[in-house]
Amino acid sequence: MIVLRLVQSFLASLGRSTLGLLAATGRLAIFAGVAVSHLVRPPFYPGELARQLLRIGYFSLPVVGLTALFTGAALALQIWSGGDRFNAGTVVPSIVAIGIVRELGPVLGGLMVAGRVSSSIAAELGTMRVTEQIDALTTLSTDPMKYLVLPRLLAGLIAMPLLVAVANAIGIFGGYLVGTTRLGFNPGAYIKNTLDFLEASDIHTSLTKAAVFGFLLALMGCYNGFNSGRGAQGVGEATTNAVVTASILILAANYILTEAFF
Amino acid sequence: MAAATPRIELRDVHKAFGAKQVLCGVSLKVMPGESLVIIGSSGTGKSVTLKCVLGILTHDAGEILIDGRPLARIDRRGFLRHFGMLFQGGALFDSLTVWQNVAFRLIHARHDPLGRGAARDLAIAKLGRVGLGPETADLYPAELSGGMQKRVGLARAIATGPQVIFFDEPTAGLDPILAGVINDLIRELVSEMGATAITITHDMTTVRTVADHVAMLHAGRVRWSGPIEDMDAAPDPYLQQFIHGRATGPIETVR
Repeated sequence: MIVLRLVQSFLASLGRSTLGLLAATGRLAIFAGVAVSHLVRPPFYPGELARQLLRIGYFSLPVVGLTALFTGAALALQIWSGGDRFNAGTVVPSIVAIGIVRELGPVLGGLMVAGRVSSSIAAELGTMRVTEQIDALTTLSTDPMKYLVLPRLLAGLIAMPLLVAVANAIGIFGGYLVGTTRLGFNPGAYIKNTLDFLEASDIHTSLTKAAVFGFLLALMGCYNGFNSGRGAQGVGEATTNAVVTASILILAANYILTEAFF
Repeated sequence: MAAATPRIELRDVHKAFGAKQVLCGVSLKVMPGESLVIIGSSGTGKSVTLKCVLGILTHDAGEILIDGRPLARIDRRGFLRHFGMLFQGGALFDSLTVWQNVAFRLIHARHDPLGRGAARDLAIAKLGRVGLGPETADLYPAELSGGMQKRVGLARAIATGPQVIFFDEPTAGLDPILAGVINDLIRELVSEMGATAITITHDMTTVRTVADHVAMLHAGRVRWSGPIEDMDAAPDPYLQQFIHGRATGPIETVR
């Protein structure tokens, strides 16, 4: 009897969690759909979009650039050390290039920007929700989805590919620095190896991933901030949830996109 | 002669948040050019009532009529174009300067938005109306005191000469002199501009200065409503306890 009750309670909690997850997914999909639908409904706020492009793109450059530089440098050392075991140390330039461009540039860039931008969007919109600024926008005949959410989503979508393009170049440069100064590669040969090995499809994959990650990290920041609970605790939870969900979604989307481009 | 249509009318409006029933059948009427003040203890649903009228919250049952037409069928954007609201905490946009806050609707108007120079001039004029000098125009809300933020919120609410204005605790957190100035200003707006106003307050001075009609909410219902002149003589014990601020009476207090 007790075992039956335990099984029933386990199944009930499993059912509740599944329903909760489905409901949350539905709410998120509706939120994203409504926000995107404003793309074709004026008025538009180009000033807000420019402000968000600066914030999400330009001001994230140092963080993403440094991440890429050190990752490229460490990757060169690891590949040299691993490749040397079967006399394949010369593959460093090509593996650094493919590793950075296809995988590490967009994923690490996405995770770093998620930490920096999703949290800040969630905290900003959460505070606006708590202090009734979002309600005030409505009373001033301004749709908050159009004025607050859409510019952030678009900025994520546009800025991330640009950021990742720069991060890829910096990551490869990190590998080049280590390769030429520590591992004895000829500078010209290193660059030639890199360029010969990279294909256009690698770049497409990288930038497509970046655009998807940019949209996801902005969406999670906006969704969690917009639906923030009351008070400082509510805003804090919204910020944490934004970073955690954005990071998980980026990693899951990375696998799905890698399968798609495989 | 046919009776005039109320500007805003609530008929048996219900609203619950989960298991908590906040509005349990609120019925109210506000005629054009009239100033209604809603009083009641904290948590009786005053702000929720205003948010239901604005469509920020969706009521569960009952009807809300604007100029005799159900809320769901009116041109909401058109209604909001002639509407202003002062929020309890000011609700100023942190990322914008004071003048940009005041002129927000003018700058972002869908038709004929005002240029920045003209909008700034108008914002400074409105700031003067609430007792703030032009030196505050370029400050950010975080640089202002609570009372100043409230006044900027009021300047923003009246910036476009609205026909309907809601004031949520307009004098909370202000000193008595400034509270008097704000009360007079609200009265002026209603009398001179013919605006229809709904004010939520706990401040009896505001009630006496601003109200044409008073409605008292208690336990999610309108406990008493009537002209301001009848308020003091009304026999309702709940109303009398509230307006005299007595600790003992039918309204339960937590000690």
